[in-house]
This record gives sequence, C-alpha cells and structure tokens, in this order.
Amino acid sequence: MIDHLPVLMFLAPFLSALIVAALGLYVRGAASRLTLAALTATGVLSLVGLERVAAAGAIHSHMGGWPPPIGIEFVLDPLSAFVAAVVAVVALVTVAGSMASVRGELPGRETFYYSCVLLLVGGLMGILVTGDLFNLFVHLEVASLSAYALVAAGGRGAPRAALSYLLIGSLGASLYLLGVGFLYAGTGSLNMADVAGLIGGMDGRLRFVAGILIVGGLGIKMALFPLHVWMPSAYERSPAAAASLMAPLVTKVCAYALLRVLYWVWGGDLLREGILLELLAWGGAAAVVMGGVLALLQTDLRRLFAYSSVGQMGIVALGAGLANKAGMTGAILHIANDAVVKGVLFLAAGTALLRFSVRNVADLGRLRGRAPWTAAAVVVAGLSLVGVPPLGGFFGKWYVLTAAVAEGRWYFAAAIVAGSLASIVYVFRILQQILFAQPAGEDQAREGPAVAVLACLTLAAVVVLLGIGNERVVSLLVAQSLPGTLP
Amino acid sequence: MESAAIGSAVGIPFVAAALILAAPARWAEAWSYAAALATATFAVLLLGPVRGGAAPELDVLPIVPGLSLLFRVDALGLTFGLLASGLWIVTTLYSSGYVRGDRLKNRPRYFAAFAASIGAAMGIAFAGNLLTFFLFYEALTVATYPLVVHKETPEAFAAGRRYLLYVLGGGLPLLVAIAWTWTATGTLDFRPGGFLHGQASPQALSGLFALFMLGVGVKSAVMPLHTWLPAAMVAPTPVSALLHAVAVVKAGVFGAMRVIAYVFGPESLEGLEAPHVLAALCLATIAIGSLIALRQDNLKRRLAYSTIVHLSYIVLGAALTTPLGLVGSMMHMVNHGLAKITLFFCAGAIYATTHKENVSELRGLGRRMPWTFGAFTVASLGLMGLPGLCGFVGKLFLARGAIEAGNVFALVVMLGASLLTAGYLLPIVRIAFFPCPDAPGGEPLRREAAPAMLIPLVAAAVLVILFGLAPAIIDVQYGLAADVAGRVFGAAGGGAP
Repeated sequence: MIDHLPVLMFLAPFLSALIVAALGLYVRGAASRLTLAALTATGVLSLVGLERVAAAGAIHSHMGGWPPPIGIEFVLDPLSAFVAAVVAVVALVTVAGSMASVRGELPGRETFYYSCVLLLVGGLMGILVTGDLFNLFVHLEVASLSAYALVAAGGRGAPRAALSYLLIGSLGASLYLLGVGFLYAGTGSLNMADVAGLIGGMDGRLRFVAGILIVGGLGIKMALFPLHVWMPSAYERSPAAAASLMAPLVTKVCAYALLRVLYWVWGGDLLREGILLELLAWGGAAAVVMGGVLALLQTDLRRLFAYSSVGQMGIVALGAGLANKAGMTGAILHIANDAVVKGVLFLAAGTALLRFSVRNVADLGRLRGRAPWTAAAVVVAGLSLVGVPPLGGFFGKWYVLTAAVAEGRWYFAAAIVAGSLASIVYVFRILQQILFAQPAGEDQAREGPAVAVLACLTLAAVVVLLGIGNERVVSLLVAQSLPGTLP
Repeated sequence: MESAAIGSAVGIPFVAAALILAAPARWAEAWSYAAALATATFAVLLLGPVRGGAAPELDVLPIVPGLSLLFRVDALGLTFGLLASGLWIVTTLYSSGYVRGDRLKNRPRYFAAFAASIGAAMGIAFAGNLLTFFLFYEALTVATYPLVVHKETPEAFAAGRRYLLYVLGGGLPLLVAIAWTWTATGTLDFRPGGFLHGQASPQALSGLFALFMLGVGVKSAVMPLHTWLPAAMVAPTPVSALLHAVAVVKAGVFGAMRVIAYVFGPESLEGLEAPHVLAALCLATIAIGSLIALRQDNLKRRLAYSTIVHLSYIVLGAALTTPLGLVGSMMHMVNHGLAKITLFFCAGAIYATTHKENVSELRGLGRRMPWTFGAFTVASLGLMGLPGLCGFVGKLFLARGAIEAGNVFALVVMLGASLLTAGYLLPIVRIAFFPCPDAPGGEPLRREAAPAMLIPLVAAAVLVILFGLAPAIIDVQYGLAADVAGRVFGAAGGGAP
C-alpha cells in the first residue's frame, strides 16, 4: 500500500475532480464537500508520505508494474515529500478558507470551479511526485489548463488576462516539451534517473539547447523575471477564491520542477561547467530587485502581491543558481515560505475585496479595526515577507545570503538587500493602512467569513512555525532533500 | 536560577505586551507597572552573579543548525539591561500622567508597544551571539514603529516611513555582515576581545567593519545616518524620552560596542584604518550636531540633536579601542541616558501643561514650574559634565581614553562640544528663569504638571545627582565597566585600567 502512496497523492484529487464534475450536476452542495474531503485526503496522504520518507527513505512506485525506464515511475523522495506536504496543506487551507466566498463570487458555477480546483491540485501533486520527464509535462498541462480556466472565470478583464496567460503559458510548456525532446533524442530515455545516468555521454550542444529550452519553459511557468508578464494580470483578474489557491502554489511547484530537472537530471557537476546556473542566478537577482521595484509601483493589492512573488521566486532562483548547500536550502525553504505567506495575503485580499469592496492599497484603511484577526495574520505574513526574524521568510533569505557571501558574490548579496528594502516600503504601506489609517466611511462590515479568518490564522501560525522551528525543519527535512553533488 | 532570571527579564515584557492587548483597556497601566517592576527586579538579581565574574547563560532553542537563540549576561549587557528596565519603571509612571494630560488615544496599543520595545531592548542587552542580537534588534524597530506613528497625523506617518526605511534598512547591512562573519568563521558567539582576529584579510576586515557600523550606525544616529531621529520626535514625549534617548539609540551604540569589543576586538582592529574613519565620523557628528542643536527652536528637536551628539561620544569611546575609552563609553551610555530622559520628561511636562514646544515660548515659565525647570537645570548641567553630576565621570574617562589613544584632536573636539552643550541647554534655563525685564508684568500663576509626571521627573533628576555623587552607585557602575575593559583588553595582553 505504502508503495503506491506517490500515485495516490495525485490520483486522489484527480479522480475526485471527475466525480465532482459528474455528481455536482445532480446534487446541490455536493461539490464543495467532496472537494474538501478529497483535499483532506490528499493532505493526510502527503503528511503520511513525509513521515514515511523521513523515517525510511524515498518511496518508488511503478505504474502498472512496469519497471523503469520502460514504465512511468513515481518517486516520493525527501524533496518532493516536503514540497508536497506544503502544497497539500496550503491547498486544503486556502480552498477551505475561500469556500464561503465561492457561492457569492461564482453563482451557479460551483461545480465547474471545484472540478477545476481539484484538477489543478492533482496536476500540481503529479508534477511533484513524477519521476518521468514527459509525465511531468502532462501534469504541467493538466495544472495549467485548469489554471487558465480558473482565471477566465473572473470578472472584468479576466478573459483577456486568461488569454495572455494561456498564450504565454503554452509557450512555456512547449519550450519545456521541446527541451525534453532534445534530451530524448540524445539519451533515448525519459525517466529522470535514467537520463541522469546517460546525459554525460550526450552531445554537448544538444544538451545545451535542451537546457536553455527547459530553463526558459519552466522559467515562464515559475514567473522568473523577465518571463513573469503573465502572472500579475492573471492573479489580479481571477476570482478571489481561485487566486488564493493559485498564487501560493502554481509558481512554487514550477520552481520545484526546475530544481528537480536541473539537479536531478543534469546534476551539480555538469551544471557547474555550463552557463545554466549563471543564467538562473542572474535572472534570480534581477527578479529580486525588479520584483521589489515593480511591487512598489502597484496600486492594486493583488497585483502588488503578485509582483512580490516575482521577487520571492527570484530568491529561489538565486539560491538554486548559487549551487551550494546553503543556497539550495534557502531556495527550498523559500518555496515553502512564499507558498504559505501568499496564502495568507491572497486570502486576506479576497476578504478585502468581497467584504469591503477594496481593490487598492489606498483604500485598505476601510478595514481598520473591522477585521482584527485577518489584520494580525497579514502583519505576520508581511513581516515574514520583509524578512524580520524569527519568521519563516527571514531564514530563506538568510541561507541564500550566506550562500552568496560564501561564493564571494557581493552583487548578489546587494540584490537581496535592495529587494528587501523595497519590500520594507511596500509591506509597511499596506500595514500602515490596515493598522493606522483613518477609517473612511462608516460601513458596518465586519471580519471576513469565519473559515477565511481561521485559514489566515492557520497559515500565519505555519509562517511562525517555519521560522522558530527552522532548525528542525532544516535538519530533519531540508538537509535530506539536497542533491548529493553540492559543495 | 540565573537562567530563569534571564528568561524572565526578556520574556516578561513580551508577555505583558500580549496581556495588555488582550485585557480590558483600563488594565493597561497596571500590567505595565507590574511588568516593569518584575523586569527590573530580575535584572537586578543578575547583578550579583555578574559582579562576581560569572556570565550566566540561557540557551533557548536552536534556530539554525549550529546556531542557537542564546542569552549570555555579561557586565556590558547587564549595564544596558539595567538602564532600560530601570528607566522603564519611571517612564511608565510618567506615561500614565502624560496620556491623561495629552489625551492620547489607543492606550492599550501604546503601552503594549512600549512593553514589547523594552523586551526587545532586554533581548539585545542579553544576546549571546550576533544572530540573537539581530533578531531583537529588528524586533525593537518593529515594536517602536506603532509608537512613532502613534498620533496618526500625516506628519507622524511621514516620520514613520523614514524611521522604518532607515532603521529596518540599516538592519540589512548588519545582516550581510553577520552572514559574512558566519561563513568566514563558523561562529557568531560574542567573546571578550573578539573572535575575528586572524580569520580574514585586513581588506575583508575593513569591509566587514564598514558593514557592521553601517548597520548599528543608523540606530546610533552617526551622521550622515541621523535624520530619522529628529523626525521621530513627532512621537509622544515619553516615547522620545525612553526610546529615542535610551532604548533604541542606546541599542545602536551598545551594538557598536558589542561589535567592536566582542566581535572584532583590539587585536584584529590594530593597524586598520576603519576605526579611525569611524572616529572621524563621530567627531564630525559631535561638532556639526552641536552647531545644529544651537539653532533649533523646537525644544524636542534641540534635545534630539543633543542626543545625536552624545551618542557619538559613546561610539567614539569604543572606536578609540583603548580600555579607558571603553570604560568612558559604558559610563556615558548610562549617564547620558539619565540626563536625557530627565530633559525629555521636562519637555513633555511643559508641553502637557502649557502646550508650548518652542524654546522661544518658554519665557518666564521657570517661575510657574519651578520643579520642572529645576530638574531641567540639573540635567543640563549633568549633561555638560559638571563635576558632582552624572555626566562628569563618563566624560572624564572618555577624555582619558582620547589621551591614551594619543588623539589630541578628539580631546579638543569633545571639550569644545561640552561648551556647546552649555551653549544650547543653558539659554533655555536662562529664558525660563530670567525673562527680559520688559516681559508682561504680574506674578505668573504657579502651575506644575500633574504629580504622575512630576514625581518621575524629579526622581530622574535625583538619579542624575546620585550617579554623580553617590560612591556606592559609581562603584557598581565603574566596576561593571572596568570588568568589561579588563576582559576585552586583557585578552589582548593589555592591563586593566
């Protein structure tokens, strides 16, 4: 049974999506309950998987009994188990938290919404557990197609945002697929572990082209600056409920995919010879600075958060590009941090929009004193974003910073400093509004729906735990998930 | 037992902050009193072991593999801890008078942020390694932000923005420096005499020194990083008094001393230009700051520039890297704190009773408020360094430190600035007590501030006198300072002062 855990982790939401789509048409209100049950099951499976992997090492599972490299392999190793646990928990909490607003936001379309949500989560879990390069593409497409649909379900401007997301996202997927094609041509295999063994003997130019294509493709999917252009509009225009699920997870899982392919297929030794890591590190540094600067210029709250994610994904790319233990540790931690932090922030932005009709940072003053618990969660998430210790966000930055300093790359340390300075300004612009601004108008709206508040507080607690428990998280989980070839 | 005392001294203010927010608003002051007394008591309990030469430790939990949230109380930390927690008691009493006089709103938020700030200051004081220090250093900034913007006027928000950008921004070079130290040496634990000696090239040490000083230089308001401090004077006066004359800025100078004496140490700084550059910046700050203070009409701004000047005295003493200079720094850190909090208390009392905040408006007020202006006079003379009052001893040691370092220029600037201190503080006394003869006639009404403000104000002035006269107090204070200098420079082979 435990051997099939990786498969179950993505099949649970995937099959439930089909059931929800079929049943939801006939039974009113079944869709949300089924979704909650499926996501709870996914969460439990992921946590069990994390526990098993930490105790007894990676779990390999072969679809249909075909051994690799013939059949498709699913692997739950320490890295995928850690990220999957974060993704499953954040998905459960954000979907549960935004449940109350779905009925008002998407009247009559709940069945459609919940099936897309489950497909999306299924695709993301699939990306995390697959050990096959082509299968990764399939899951990427499953996740992306449902994400396009979810964006398109939004209000004014959503179709346009969804269309550009679709076009750019498909370009990214195609680039990735093309890269995989080159790898297949060079090695004759699609299994990651198998390709990793053969890639050294592959023609160098072919391998280079494949690398560029894959980094470009997944760079688009993870919104790595300057390939991020689809993201801010997509998360600004999508329904609030969908944004609070997608913004925390989609780019983070795609960043995981990039780390997976680079370090587990190419491997650290090959990477250090080429320019892929340099590309990643410079892209990351540019993202850290520009994500911060662009976030400063935003007036729309969700757009601002999206640009903040551009900066945070920059930290991930920078840490991965530095190719030492500290850098990778920081990158992995920051994937988890940004998932949780953006969960809080997008849920809160949803509450602001739906309860208080607030889209813009400048109007946040209307929330003052009316939503104290949501505000408290936003304070925690915001301070984590700035990197105030001992919250989770501090440690991601700390490890990447030590990695940059250890390599003597001062300009990268300077980029992190610049990005952090920008985040101080944009975060406190928000905090100042919700905590101190003079209340405008006398509308009586109170705190968001109880589930949303609870979800915000749960995720804020995770932010704190990821911070003060950092030593445990790193030594028990992250240290095991580093690729073996790092200095 | 001692580790419990450390945990309590740091933890109680934070717990109090949470309780103040959770409990009904009318209990806010009661919680503050209880927490202030308890915190100071635990700090005093630690005095015995520390004077006995021990350095009690508390290892709370590991935060990064190989690094702990670690408290270690030594003489330097305890000096700062006693200063912050002791003055919290008087300031709480003063605050409860002030919030009534000035009709401050949001009292729970005010007292909670205040308590959290003191907790952060205690954490800074007792931090046993750089990461713990950094954690509380940032916490102090975040906790004081609500106090800076407390009045919620556009002016307060503008000051708050500048405050955050400077002070949180200043934390970033500090973070880079800490990360660099960590990768270079694999340790961040403070050690008397430093742990960087021989661990990096002179160029690297200079760069590291610059980053560290950029980080702590913002809070200690060394020019040109000082402009946040006068702007932060929009905060309610008790905040200016305890935080922007004692806790926050002293966290900066305390950090400078910690880094110079416990991270670098005299050995690794020998032959480097960097401390001389820092000393030169401090001297420039002393000279320029004094001149600017002369021209301020707003009383709180004048006091703020005076703070900037005296902070640079303290940093200068550490930058001289001589035993006597370090002793002078530590003593002046305490003494300036006492004198300056008295001056701010007076400014607040004047504002709360008369709503006057400019020096030129104080004409003749001395007769109306004799106790307030009496205290103001004592504190002014103390800050100038009149023998028999608190400022004298520290300045004496600073001067001796300058001579020890062979830096005659520093000596001249310090002495000149003492005269300028008289130049910007004594005219206030003169205007208040001896108005021009053509002032409007009639005996002015005698109207002092409320007792809740007057008592702590006079108490602080008494402390100014006691710290200059009472042998027992000076003995303890000097003992702690000499202990630090002995350990730091003893490790370098030099003798105790």
